[in-house]
Amino acid sequence: MERKIGVYICECGPNISEKIDIDKVIDAVSLPEDVAVVKRYKLLCSVDGKKFLEDEIKKQGLTHLVIAACSPKQHEKTFMEVCENAGINPYLYQLANIREQCAWVTDDKDEATKKAIRLVKAAIRRVRYHFPLEKKEIACNPDVLVIGGGVAGLEASLQLASSDRRVYLVEKTSSLGGMVDNFEKTFPNMQPGSNLIKQKILDVNKNENIKVFTDSIVEELLGFFGSFEVKVKAKEQDAFVEFDVGAVVLATGSSFFDPKQTPQYGYGTLDNVFTAIEFEKMNKSGKISLKNGKTPKNVAIVHCVGRNEKGYCSQICCMYSLKFARYLKEKIPDVNVFHFYSDMCIPGKSQQKFYDQTKGKHINFIRSSNIEVTKKGDNVQINYSDEDGKANNLPANMVILSPAITPTSDSSQLAELAGISQDDSGFFAEEHEKLNPISTSTEGIYIVGSAQGPKDIPDTLIQAEAATGKILSSLVPGRKIEPEVKVSHISESFCIGCKNCMSVCSYGTITFDEEKKVCVVNEVICRGCGNCVAACPSGAATLKHFTFKQLYQEILEAV
Amino acid sequence: MSKSKETSTIKTAVLPAKSGTKKAILDFLKNAMDKKNFDAVIIPMRVPAGDSFVYVLIKDVSLLKDAFPLSPVMSVQGARVVSSVTRLGKGDMKIAAVMRPCEIRATIELAKFGQVDLENVTLISMDCPGVMPISDFLSDPEKGMKLFDDAVTSWDDSIMRPVCKICDKSSMIAGDIHIGTLGAKKDTFFMIPKTQKGNDTLEKSDIKIDADLDEWHNKVTTLSEEKKKKRNSANKDLKVKTGGIDNLIDTFSQCINCHNCMKVCPICFCRLCYFDSENVKHSAENYLQIAENKGSIRFLPDTILFQTGRMMHMSVSCVSCGSCEDACPASIPVGQIFSMIADETQKAFDYVSGRDINEPTPLVAYKKDELHEMEDAHD
Repeated sequence: MERKIGVYICECGPNISEKIDIDKVIDAVSLPEDVAVVKRYKLLCSVDGKKFLEDEIKKQGLTHLVIAACSPKQHEKTFMEVCENAGINPYLYQLANIREQCAWVTDDKDEATKKAIRLVKAAIRRVRYHFPLEKKEIACNPDVLVIGGGVAGLEASLQLASSDRRVYLVEKTSSLGGMVDNFEKTFPNMQPGSNLIKQKILDVNKNENIKVFTDSIVEELLGFFGSFEVKVKAKEQDAFVEFDVGAVVLATGSSFFDPKQTPQYGYGTLDNVFTAIEFEKMNKSGKISLKNGKTPKNVAIVHCVGRNEKGYCSQICCMYSLKFARYLKEKIPDVNVFHFYSDMCIPGKSQQKFYDQTKGKHINFIRSSNIEVTKKGDNVQINYSDEDGKANNLPANMVILSPAITPTSDSSQLAELAGISQDDSGFFAEEHEKLNPISTSTEGIYIVGSAQGPKDIPDTLIQAEAATGKILSSLVPGRKIEPEVKVSHISESFCIGCKNCMSVCSYGTITFDEEKKVCVVNEVICRGCGNCVAACPSGAATLKHFTFKQLYQEILEAV
Repeated sequence: MSKSKETSTIKTAVLPAKSGTKKAILDFLKNAMDKKNFDAVIIPMRVPAGDSFVYVLIKDVSLLKDAFPLSPVMSVQGARVVSSVTRLGKGDMKIAAVMRPCEIRATIELAKFGQVDLENVTLISMDCPGVMPISDFLSDPEKGMKLFDDAVTSWDDSIMRPVCKICDKSSMIAGDIHIGTLGAKKDTFFMIPKTQKGNDTLEKSDIKIDADLDEWHNKVTTLSEEKKKKRNSANKDLKVKTGGIDNLIDTFSQCINCHNCMKVCPICFCRLCYFDSENVKHSAENYLQIAENKGSIRFLPDTILFQTGRMMHMSVSCVSCGSCEDACPASIPVGQIFSMIADETQKAFDYVSGRDINEPTPLVAYKKDELHEMEDAHD
């Protein structure tokens, strides 16, 4: 069929028409034989404009369309729809940006007109080398993978599971419950923590739409929003369980700063120096005692262990340290508790109240710095500088260290697996700190709870509910999704098997065919970013709709 | 990784070489083959006509006596040889490859690109005095051989390839074992293991690794410092001569578009060079369009595009062997230019081609914080 290119230049009100001599552009680009029509229009993206274009394509019998208007970021899709409505393949069209990159960057009308001519000519030359691409539709998978069986993961699973949505909950340890299961009580209402978690575990286990994997890890996660392929492996087994999901919730929790990295606190070298979690477990076992079995009389709680090393406040340590004083007071009524702190972090509607209720005759707060724990006889001694900078010390039987909350040791591995980024401290990075606090750089993967940063239980649950809200509203059963059409292709006859492309692919799209010694693209997973094309030394990788030929032809006219 | 730190912990073996180093190296290889430490050896050999040298893969141990570890010319870059042998898989046999340091470094680069499988290969390098340009040698092989022998004795580089004259990595230990002749006492030479594989190989040949490297190291450092100075000043001159678009066009104006430089380059491993592909061949309409835009168009076109494109593709891995320059029928100092650019591109990524098999190539290594000096270049 004979090629008939239609070129339409948008005035964009005064935006383009006042800065570019559109008639001059029309004259300059009308010459080639296959350019059937060149016209101007006041606002192509308007309802009238779209109707005009649709009629023109049909009336003129156009085979290719060039629009000179605004940035493709704004209206590329708009005109693709026009093409579809008018019955031509939407990839047989090219948009020349003569607004943002031309009209808006200079006051010199002559220069802007010259540049516009080049840009439109380049688009015309490029569109000649376009070929039709077919859109594919695949059904979106409504199922969800939840990684981490702590309070966040349990909550998300319960909210998401329904008769038309299956939830796969993968927990790396042997039991559900996570960190909260260690807590006898939780602040600030001092309600039992294990009750809270036990009910959720019960509900999860009896929910037939939740499949629980314990002692298991996610080995592979490939794909995109609506269609992820998952491989789960049980520990110490070779076999995988494979399934597909549409979205992923990362609820992998956090870990603690290792106080052995700060030897001044005596952890690991002195008896009766415990970490917060060790103390939680001791308390939950029913008896608070020293190593020799005796009951402690004087207990020091050291706040902010590792805060300087990590460079952030862990937000919950002051509150649980206050809770420890309550534990101690309940179990050992005549105990003396000494909080060594530098700043109290107790924001929110109930925290201050909790602090006021906790402090009392035998619960002391010592604002201090330069803390060091040393041995003194059978006991320990806390050496410190007081508020005036004066050296002081205090003997005690027991020391509890409140260490910073840190990312789990496998967080980098998980981040790589899920293709999401980490912040400076190693926590999973949200897409935007304020605007998108639970989304990530990968659509369809959400981060909830302390895997995203230090957090108490209510905040964790809020995030779990927020993520489920996002998923429920977007991952609707029956919805169709369109995989990227402009995907990469690796030529088998040109590929030399250097695997450069595999190292730069962010989506795990490319595999290596050991038999043929060539790299192969999985077109369903490919997002068309073009990294592989740039990294391929031999031109074996090409991107559909951005072929070497198309780019070369475009550049030829532009420079 | 500084050189002194790298070598200070390494010990060396000192071996006798009463009948010359060449004989001693061949004896070592023969012994290792007899003991089945190696099943085959890749090494240069003089062609039967006597006027040139080629690489051979020796399986018959009796042929080793004719091998020539330090050949006066580099007719084929050794990395291409190791790649030819192992690209489709490592094979069952253990192979020793005796090559110059730049060939070893190129081999290591190719291993990073999956074009060489090093698992069954032991890389043996040696102190390199340089190689003669092929055309110089071929014009009178007998005289060439004598000149080369004299140059090896006096360590004089005046007859060598231009890039050899300014090579500061001629004793770089990149492979498994390095043969050192610099700083060695009369009738001896060093065998320096770098890797566990090198160590094991020497031990299996009952070679004791107990001597200090100091003498070799001092000599090598002095030499490499001297060469570095020469290199800097040569590159400075070359930059003046070839820098800027006009000089660049002048320099490559003699290019006949034969692509020999790419064909002999050990790093240019692509099955089909982009610049030989259909992607750079255009319709008459296109050529006329360019001619219209510029007034005329040179044929064959795209010489500068080819040179700079190839430079962009391979300069971070370039080992400055000079094979390209030897292959250029138009006598363009292409090896010197690429070597100068390689210095800069590798410096930008804090990378040295072939230094370490575990050092990822800059293209695939993601660093969040890098290339700030390049950002400034736009100010």
